[in-house]
Amino acid sequence: MTAAITVTGLTRRYRGKLTLDHVSVGIEEGAVTGLLGRNGAGKTTLMRIIAGQEFASAGSVQVFGASPAENDRILRRMAFVREDQAYPDFKVGDALRAASWFYPNWSGELADSLMTDFALPRNRAVKKLSRGMRSALGIVIGLAARAEVTMLDEPYAGLDAVATQLFYDRLLADYAEHPRTILLSTHQVDEAAGLLERVVVMDQGRVVLDAAADDLRGAATRVSGPALAVAEFTAERQVWDRRRMGSQESAVVVGPLDGTDRRPARNPRLTLEPVSLQELVRYVGTRPAQDTRQRTIA
Amino acid sequence: MNTRLKVVRYHLLKKFDYLALPWAWTAFGFAVDLVIFAMIPVSHGYHQVLTAHGIVQVPNPPSSRDAGGLGGIVAVYFALGVLSIARGLPFAFALGVSRRSYYAGTALLGAVLAVGNGLAITGLQAIERATGGWGESVHIFRVPYVLDGPWYLTWLTSSVALALLFGWGMWYGIVYRRWSLPGTVTLTAAQVTVLVAAVLTITWSHAWAGTGRFFTALSAAGLTGLLAVLAAALLAGGYATIRRVTV
Repeated sequence: MTAAITVTGLTRRYRGKLTLDHVSVGIEEGAVTGLLGRNGAGKTTLMRIIAGQEFASAGSVQVFGASPAENDRILRRMAFVREDQAYPDFKVGDALRAASWFYPNWSGELADSLMTDFALPRNRAVKKLSRGMRSALGIVIGLAARAEVTMLDEPYAGLDAVATQLFYDRLLADYAEHPRTILLSTHQVDEAAGLLERVVVMDQGRVVLDAAADDLRGAATRVSGPALAVAEFTAERQVWDRRRMGSQESAVVVGPLDGTDRRPARNPRLTLEPVSLQELVRYVGTRPAQDTRQRTIA
Repeated sequence: MNTRLKVVRYHLLKKFDYLALPWAWTAFGFAVDLVIFAMIPVSHGYHQVLTAHGIVQVPNPPSSRDAGGLGGIVAVYFALGVLSIARGLPFAFALGVSRRSYYAGTALLGAVLAVGNGLAITGLQAIERATGGWGESVHIFRVPYVLDGPWYLTWLTSSVALALLFGWGMWYGIVYRRWSLPGTVTLTAAQVTVLVAAVLTITWSHAWAGTGRFFTALSAAGLTGLLAVLAAALLAGGYATIRRVTV
């Protein structure tokens, strides 16, 4: 893996509270990486430091081998779309014109077609846009910039389901034609799952999982059935979650299952189902602190 | 194109604010001044003075007809300096502009606007002189002592003064971005403290007479130099403050 972004021992302290706690992670060049985790996990702070908008208390960030902080040469190769982006008193069209001057790979054609797709009015003041339209504007800028490193922080906040799907479709289509490094932070893991090639999960300022998305599919399995049979199945396996209702039990076991496990004949009363990426992230992100040492699957 | 020039262009997307607003406000002040001074007649009175040669009739000195019309542009310049940072910075950061480039580009905009508008003030002052104070003996673009010399000094002094105001506003904008309202209040308090300290120092060292002489002896060119030094200090202060600003 060639890393476009290399983060080493990154720590950020705010008034004694650790927002980032010795984060070390590499973001693969030319891949879509999902940055997942709960609110306050440190995702936005990490992206802000990578984009040079915030400073680290300790540690370092390298983008294409150089520190991005105050480095115009590196910064112009990056686009960062924030959920809470503040704009000057601009009209939508002004914001796009400004963006077209600063991004060397800007595609006016893509911007125009995205503007049509999201039905964004060029002449409306940005501050008069609804939350969803404002998010759409950020998406238009972030995608049309075709920046070598594109960071999208919760880009579809306030977008309706149709527009969210549109975002994923257009992102995927343009990414296929113009591959680049994309770091996408999101809560809606399952909607993004098809898009993600790598997954980085953060919790309480730390990276708790860094893996190829393919390796995560089937990384955990939910086993349900009579409590005795479940107990027998889960013996000697790592279990993340166990729920019991009367004589029935369901447990989430970690690690790939081999062929014999999957054979229904082994115990016809047991149901096995793969745990979705969303659930997986939830389990990884809610482990007790001593259990959240970085797991690297793959 | 150079990033700094792109920053200038970025600001000028708000053409009305940066190009028209100072003059819209000045035009308004100009109109108000003319209306007011047209109502006040120019005095032509005499008074009697006892001299060695007996009582003589002495014409009254012309009453001051110095209007404050230029005050408007001063306020607008300061406000534009504040807005250039407070309003424009977060999106410029999103577009991958470094603090250094944003600051340099914004200062460049302030300087270019100051020189251009200084020239306009110089031209208007020439018209004011040629028309006998717009026909009403009013001084709007001629400020006694400060803007009262040859045209090139008027140009220089007004340009430096406007640049100073813009830079001062920029610093306020940066302080606001970093520490919000408590920061700007503290900055104001710090400036007042410096002034009070200067006044106390002059008083305790019985230096008022000397200070008075210094300012009376100071020519418009000397004053301009003083303003330029102050502008440079503000620019350095602003740069030191923007280096750690975050959005």
